[in-house]
Amino acid sequence: MAAQRPANRPRPTLLILLAAALTLLTLQFRGLQPLDAFQQGVRDIVEPVRTLSDRLTDPIQTAWNGVFDYDALRMENERLEIELARMRGNTLTSEADTELLSRLLSEVDIAYSDFDTLVVRLLGRPPGNFSSHMVEVDKGTDDGLKEGMAVVTGAGLVGRLDQVDRSRSLVQLATHPDFKVGVRLVTSQDEGLANGTGTEGLVRIESGVRLDAQVEHGEVLVTSGGRSLFPADIPVGRVLDPDSDADYRRSIIVELSADLENLSFLKVVLPVQQTGVVR
Amino acid sequence: MLAVLLTALIAQATLLTEIRIQGATVELMMVIAILAGFHGGPERGMFVAFFAGLLQDSLISVPLGLHALVFPPLAVAVSSLEQRMVRLTPVADALALLLASTAGIFMIVAAGLLFGLSPFDPSVLLTRILIAAAMTTAIAIPVNRAVRWAVMGGLPPEIKIRSIDS
Repeated sequence: MAAQRPANRPRPTLLILLAAALTLLTLQFRGLQPLDAFQQGVRDIVEPVRTLSDRLTDPIQTAWNGVFDYDALRMENERLEIELARMRGNTLTSEADTELLSRLLSEVDIAYSDFDTLVVRLLGRPPGNFSSHMVEVDKGTDDGLKEGMAVVTGAGLVGRLDQVDRSRSLVQLATHPDFKVGVRLVTSQDEGLANGTGTEGLVRIESGVRLDAQVEHGEVLVTSGGRSLFPADIPVGRVLDPDSDADYRRSIIVELSADLENLSFLKVVLPVQQTGVVR
Repeated sequence: MLAVLLTALIAQATLLTEIRIQGATVELMMVIAILAGFHGGPERGMFVAFFAGLLQDSLISVPLGLHALVFPPLAVAVSSLEQRMVRLTPVADALALLLASTAGIFMIVAAGLLFGLSPFDPSVLLTRILIAAAMTTAIAIPVNRAVRWAVMGGLPPEIKIRSIDS
C-alpha cells in the first residue's frame, strides 16, 4: 500500500521563501547598501562575544590542534629542522644570495620597507565552511583599515582586505581564486595580471605577459602598482613554471614568497597620505 | 525558537569556529534547520530554516540569502522523509541526518558556485564536505532536544483525532 501523503502542502510557502532568498541575493549583487550594513551590524553585535570567546577558548583550541593536527605539527617540525640544518650549512651562500638580492632590488628601485604599515594579529579562519583562502585579523575600520588594502609579511604579499568591520577584518589570501593583482617581472620588466589558483602557495599569470617574453625560472615578481589598488614593488614571489612552450595562451605559475600556512602577525599597507595611525 | 537560533549563532561564531578537522567545521545552523523540519513539520521547519539561513548569511562572508535559499528545501525534504519513514530508529535517524547534512553542504557549495563564489579548493572539496557532514551529524545529539523543545513548545507537533470503529 502506498504511503499516505502529508495533509499540509507547503509548496506555495516554500516558493515564497525561495523567492525572498533569491530577491535578497539579487539585491546584494546589485550592491544594495542596507543589506551590507545589516550584515555588518550583525557581525558588530556578535563581535564582543567572539572576542571574549576567543580568549576563553584559546586553551581548548590549543588542545584540539594538539590532538587533530599532531601529525601536521610533527611534519612541520621535521621540515623546520631540515630547513635549519640546510640554512646552517649554507650560511656563506645565503649571505652571498642576500647581497645579490639587495643589489637587484636596488637596481629596480624597490623600497619595500618604506611602506607605511599597520601590524595586525591573525585570529584564525572565519566562521563556516565557506572560508577557504580567507583569514581573520584583529583590526578594522576603527583602526583606519579599508577594503582593498594590501596585506603583507616581511616575506612579501599575503593578500588584500576583503571585508572590514569595526574591529575585525577578513583577508582574502593571494591564493583565493578571486584574488587578482597586477605584477611586474623584475628582470624582463613585463607586466601581467596574477590571480589565485586555489592551491596553496601558488598564483598564476594568464594575461599581460607576451608569448615571446623571456621569463626565467626563479625570476622575482613584484606588484606593478599603477592603477592597481596595491602599491608598486611589493614582493610577490618567484616564477616556478615560465610556460615558455605555450602556443596560444601563456600560464606562468608563481610560487608566493610569503608562507600563507604559517601566519601569525601581518602588516596592512596604508595609503601614503594616511599617517598618525597608532602602530 | 529565536533564543535557540541566536544561541546557535553565537556558538557557531565562537567555539565551533575553533573546532576544525582538515579545515572543515560544524554547520550548526544547518542542523537546526534539519531538526526543525524533522520535529516541526514542513511549514514550521521551513520558516525556522529560512531564518537560520539568514542569520548564517549575516555572520559569514557570503551574500545574504545563500543559506536562506538552501535551508528551507532541506527542512521540507527532511520533514517529508520523516513522514514517509515506516519505522524510526536512532541509527536510521543518524543516517538520515548524515545524508541530509551531506546533501545540504553540497547544495550550499553548488549555490555558492552558481553565484560566483569559489568556496573550496577542488582537491579537498569532497573530503571537507564529508568531514563537515559527519561533524554536523555528531553535534545533532546535544542540539536535538533544544530544537525539539523550541519548535514544539513543549507540545506534540499535531494532535490526531481518530475515530474508533467498534
